[in-house]
Amino acid sequence: MILKVALRNFAGQGMRAFLNVSVTALIIIATIFSLSLLNGFQAQALKNLSTTDVGGGHYRVPGFDIMSPTDWEDLTQEVPRQLSQFKHNEKAEVLVQQGQLFINNRMFPVQLRGVEMGQQLLDLPMDHLLRRQQPVADSVPIIIGTQMSRKSKLKVGDQVVMKWRDKHGAVDALDAEVVDVVPLVNPRVDEGVAWLRLDHLRQITLRSKEITWVVVEGNRGKVEGLEFIDTDYLMRDLLALLANDRRNTRLIIGILLMLAAISVFNTQYLNIFKRQKEIGTLMAMGMTPNQIIRLFTVEGGLAAVGAVLMAVVLGIPFFAWFQISGFDVSHLSGTGIPVRENIFLEFNVREIATAVSIIVGLMILVAWWPVRRISNLEPTQALRGRGIT
Amino acid sequence: MLKIDHVSKVYRVGNQDFTALHDVNLEVPAGAFMSFVGPSGSGKTTLLNLLGGLDKPTEGHVFFRDYCLDDLSREKLAEIRRQHIGFIFQSYNLLPVYSVYENILFPLLLNNEKESAVRDRVKEIIAQVGLEPETHKKPSELSGGQCQRVAIARALVKKPDLVLADEPTANLDKENSLMILDLMQELNREYKAAFIFSTHDEKVNRFVNREVRLEDGYVISDQAVESAPA
Repeated sequence: MILKVALRNFAGQGMRAFLNVSVTALIIIATIFSLSLLNGFQAQALKNLSTTDVGGGHYRVPGFDIMSPTDWEDLTQEVPRQLSQFKHNEKAEVLVQQGQLFINNRMFPVQLRGVEMGQQLLDLPMDHLLRRQQPVADSVPIIIGTQMSRKSKLKVGDQVVMKWRDKHGAVDALDAEVVDVVPLVNPRVDEGVAWLRLDHLRQITLRSKEITWVVVEGNRGKVEGLEFIDTDYLMRDLLALLANDRRNTRLIIGILLMLAAISVFNTQYLNIFKRQKEIGTLMAMGMTPNQIIRLFTVEGGLAAVGAVLMAVVLGIPFFAWFQISGFDVSHLSGTGIPVRENIFLEFNVREIATAVSIIVGLMILVAWWPVRRISNLEPTQALRGRGIT
Repeated sequence: MLKIDHVSKVYRVGNQDFTALHDVNLEVPAGAFMSFVGPSGSGKTTLLNLLGGLDKPTEGHVFFRDYCLDDLSREKLAEIRRQHIGFIFQSYNLLPVYSVYENILFPLLLNNEKESAVRDRVKEIIAQVGLEPETHKKPSELSGGQCQRVAIARALVKKPDLVLADEPTANLDKENSLMILDLMQELNREYKAAFIFSTHDEKVNRFVNREVRLEDGYVISDQAVESAPA
C-alpha cells in the first residue's frame, strides 16, 4: 500500500521529481562511463605494453635496469639452455645495448634493441628486418617507430652513421639504414629505440648467443643466472598512474554524487515542511509516524529507482554509440602512455553494480534523513502546519 | 461510547502555561449528533483533538469504547483512529494528488482492505454524497462544497463509531453549509456514527440534537436541542 501511495505522491511532485531523477540518472551514466572508460584505457594500455614489451614477464640478467644505460654492456649473458629450448611463441630473446646515431652531424643517443626474429610472443612489426637475413656487411638495417622518426627526422631509406661498443670495449661504427618506420603503440619501444635483428646486434657487438632479457609467457621457475621479473613490476609506473587516475575519477564521482544527494535531501526537506498538513491528515486517518516515515522515504527513494530506469533508457543508446566511435586519444601520442588508438569502454558488471548500489543507497539515505523528524511530530501541530519549522 | 472525565489541557506557550480546557466532563452516546459551540480560543478544537486521540490531556481521562486513550501508545492510538474514528477538517485536507475516488478509498487501504473488495462501497458513498460525475476529478478541480462532501465520504467510508468535524462549514457559503449539514444528518442516521462538530456557526445548531457551549476552556452549558429538523 505504501509503495502505491508513494508512487502517486512521487508522480504528483512533477518537475521537482523529474529534475531529481534526471540529475541522478546523469550521475549514474557519468559514473558508469568514467569507470568503464578508465577500464578500457587500462585494458588497452596494459595490452599494448604486454604485447610489445612485457609479455608475461622477463627473465633478466640480475641487476639490469633500463634506466642505467651505462651498465647495459656489463649485464648480458648467454641464453640459458632451459630458455633457449622454448618455442617461438613461448619466448622472445632481447639484447639491449647503447649506441649513437649521427643525424646531420648531431649525435643522437639510442637504445639498440635486438629482437629474435621469428618470435611470435610479442606483436612487433619487424617484417622488413625479417627479410634481411644476411649477416651485417656494409650497413645495419634498423627499424624505428613513428615517434622516433618524428623526433629524429629519419625516414625510410635514410642512412646514418651508427656507433656502438663491442663486448671488448672497442668502439665501432657502420652505416645504419632505416628499412621501415612502424607505428608502435608503446612509447617505451619507440622513442629513442633503434630495432635490429638480434643476430645482427650480436654480430656487431661480438656477443654471440647473449641476451639482456628473455620475454616469456609466464614464470617458468628458477633459471640459472637470470631472475624473473613479473608483469606487475614491469608495468608498475603505468599501474601507479592508472591507480592515481582511478582515485581522481572516484573523487569527481563523489562530488557529483554529493550534488545529487543534496538535491534529493533538499526536496525531501521541502516536502515535509510544505506537506505538514498532509502528514497531520495521514496521522489523523490512522497512519503511524513510522508508516509516514516509510512513505516519505519510499517516495524519495523512488527518485533513485527512477534514475536507474532513466539511466538504462538514456545510457544504453549512448554507450552503444560510444562503442562504435570510441574515444580518440591521439593527443596522448606525445606522452609516455602506451595508448595511441581509439579506446573503448570496458564494462565491469560487478563494479557497475557496486557503483549503482552505492548511488541508490545514498539516495535512499538522504531521502530518509530529513523525514526522521516526523517521528517526533505531534499530529495536532502537523495539522496546524507548525510542527516542523 | 465516549466519556471525558475531569479533563484539563495545558499548553506551554513560550514561558507561560495556557490552560485550554478546565476540568471538562462529558459523556457521548453512540449515534449522537452534537456540536461544541463557542468563540475562537474557547477550547473546541482542543476537545475534538482529545476525543480523537490526536492529543493527550494534561489531567483527567478520555475513554473511547473500552480504551482509556491517554494510556495508549501512539501506535495503538493510530490503530483506533484508523478503525473507529473519522475526521472532517475545516480546510478539507484532501490528498491533492488523488482523485475523489482515491481519496475516499484511502482510509480503507490503510485498514488493509483490498480495493477490489471495497470498490462498490466507495462508489456507493460517492453516489450518496452526490459526486458521481466528479469521481475521477482531483480536489483542485472541485468547489469547496464538493471538497467537503469528499471529506465527509472519506470519514464515513470505513463505517466509524465516531466522526469528528472541526468547523466543517466555516469555509462554505450558506447554501453549501446547509447542504453539508443536511447530508451529515442523513448519514448520521444511516451509518449510526456519532457526529461531533466544533463550530461557531449558529446554522449548525439547527441540525444537532445536543449542544455543548464552551468559553475560555470551560463548559458553560450542555443541553439537548429540541428543534432539530427531521
